[in-house]
Amino acid sequence: MGALATVVDLILNSLVLGGVFLIVAIGLNIIYGLNRVMNLAHGSLYALGAYAGYTLVNLGGNFFLTLLFAPLVVGLVGLVIERVLISPMRARPMVYTLILTYGLMFVMDGCLKYFWGKETRFIAMPEFMTQTLSLGPVQYPVFRLVILLAIAAVMGGLMLMLGRTRMGVNMRAAADIPEMVSAVGVNLRMVQMGAFVLGCVLAGVAGALAGPLFTVYPVMGHGMLISSFVVVVIGGLGSLRGAIYAALLIGVVQTLAEFFITDLAMVLVYMMMALILVFKPRGLVGEGKFE
Amino acid sequence: MTEPSQASNQVIAVEDINSYYGSSHVIQGLSLSVGEGEAVCILGRNGVGKTTTLRSIVGLTPPRSGSVRIGGAEVRGWPAHKITRLGVAYVPAERHIFPGLTVEENLLVASRPAPAGQETWTTDMVYETFPVLGQRRHSGGTQLSGGEQQMLAIGRALMGNPKVMLLDEPSQGLSPILVSRVAETVRALCRQHNLTLLLVEQNFRIALQMAGRHYLMGTKSKIQGVVSSKELMDNEELIKKHLSV
Repeated sequence: MGALATVVDLILNSLVLGGVFLIVAIGLNIIYGLNRVMNLAHGSLYALGAYAGYTLVNLGGNFFLTLLFAPLVVGLVGLVIERVLISPMRARPMVYTLILTYGLMFVMDGCLKYFWGKETRFIAMPEFMTQTLSLGPVQYPVFRLVILLAIAAVMGGLMLMLGRTRMGVNMRAAADIPEMVSAVGVNLRMVQMGAFVLGCVLAGVAGALAGPLFTVYPVMGHGMLISSFVVVVIGGLGSLRGAIYAALLIGVVQTLAEFFITDLAMVLVYMMMALILVFKPRGLVGEGKFE
Repeated sequence: MTEPSQASNQVIAVEDINSYYGSSHVIQGLSLSVGEGEAVCILGRNGVGKTTTLRSIVGLTPPRSGSVRIGGAEVRGWPAHKITRLGVAYVPAERHIFPGLTVEENLLVASRPAPAGQETWTTDMVYETFPVLGQRRHSGGTQLSGGEQQMLAIGRALMGNPKVMLLDEPSQGLSPILVSRVAETVRALCRQHNLTLLLVEQNFRIALQMAGRHYLMGTKSKIQGVVSSKELMDNEELIKKHLSV
């Protein structure tokens, strides 16, 4: 493989990795922006999405079907979590849900182990996606290109939903001034619940996308939680735009670092986060708002 | 003293409510009522509990005891969105325009179908009332001037098809000319759409311009008197005692 091929390969890999981070991080961000809940179980919801995809494929389902099935499963679980655990804690300080979701993470990890076992699982892909495609000098796996397209589609759909639908407008308003949303006749609790479920749905999509990309194992969500947390922090809490920049940045840095200095890759990522926070303590686009 | 409006057609009836701001007991045993089609003002200095009174009525600061009736329905303890849907619109003194939304989106958040037999407010109707908002419909909410933000806040309140509007210090942060224009517009709106108005002010000129009956509120929300506009004008002592002039 020539130098150019390597460069193109690295760029595409960065985009794929950054895209998965982005979807998980935006879910985390939406949940925080509307509920003031830092959902530490988010990585486990992502893992649940991957396992849902794994199970469906094993039952003879198709990869594209998992992109609908996994978010549905994780969204429903998210709905139960919101109703049973998060909603009763709304009046309490944030630390309550922080501890609660931290505990939930371990409960969920335990459940994943119980139902699916500790072994690493692999998700089989449709035949055509195991091929490679010639992109100029590069032979690139079709699968990664499909993932890239799916990420773009999810982001596009999310932007449309937030920008054009009544629910999206309500969510952006509630992120700005929650109290005023109820004063204009909107049921704030429903909007907050919708945002929590939306965040979980995004975690589910990301899990279904990442399952075949990486491997599926019970604590696969831990690394993802930390990476997406880094994305949220670098981008600025509550900032959608910031998350996009940060996810791309982390995707590139982590991919390059893994290529050149494999063992120290994550060290580099955290050093970069520390450096950015020294100069921009509120993140790249941080104003504590969700936009 | 002016008699309160008749019990049969009261839009707002507040009886002996107690509301707290954090741990401080701001509203202590307040009662007031507003009749259908009336324009009533709560006059008082800063910090006596005027804003908390409006917030108590609309459910943002729910009273811990007493009774709040909107058109006969007891609403104390209801969430704010349910009270709003009975036809109560709240325009806060800070306007609280959603900064991340365009002018049009700020209106759309509040839009909902009117109850049967009542006309439904549309964005076009708001733009007709406030043409400048129509010109700036795609601007961000915070790119507006103070006067435009006040118009947007009122327009947004109208989108909920209100029967009664709670208007908190419309004069705040506006030049006297702008205040007069806002006051004129609100009066015209009330006449055209048979809107009841409950206003909060510390500026008696605006109160006189907009309302016909005035509750004079002293510290801890104690009502010192209820007067007509004429009585207020004729009695400078009242003004000096209760208001910043």
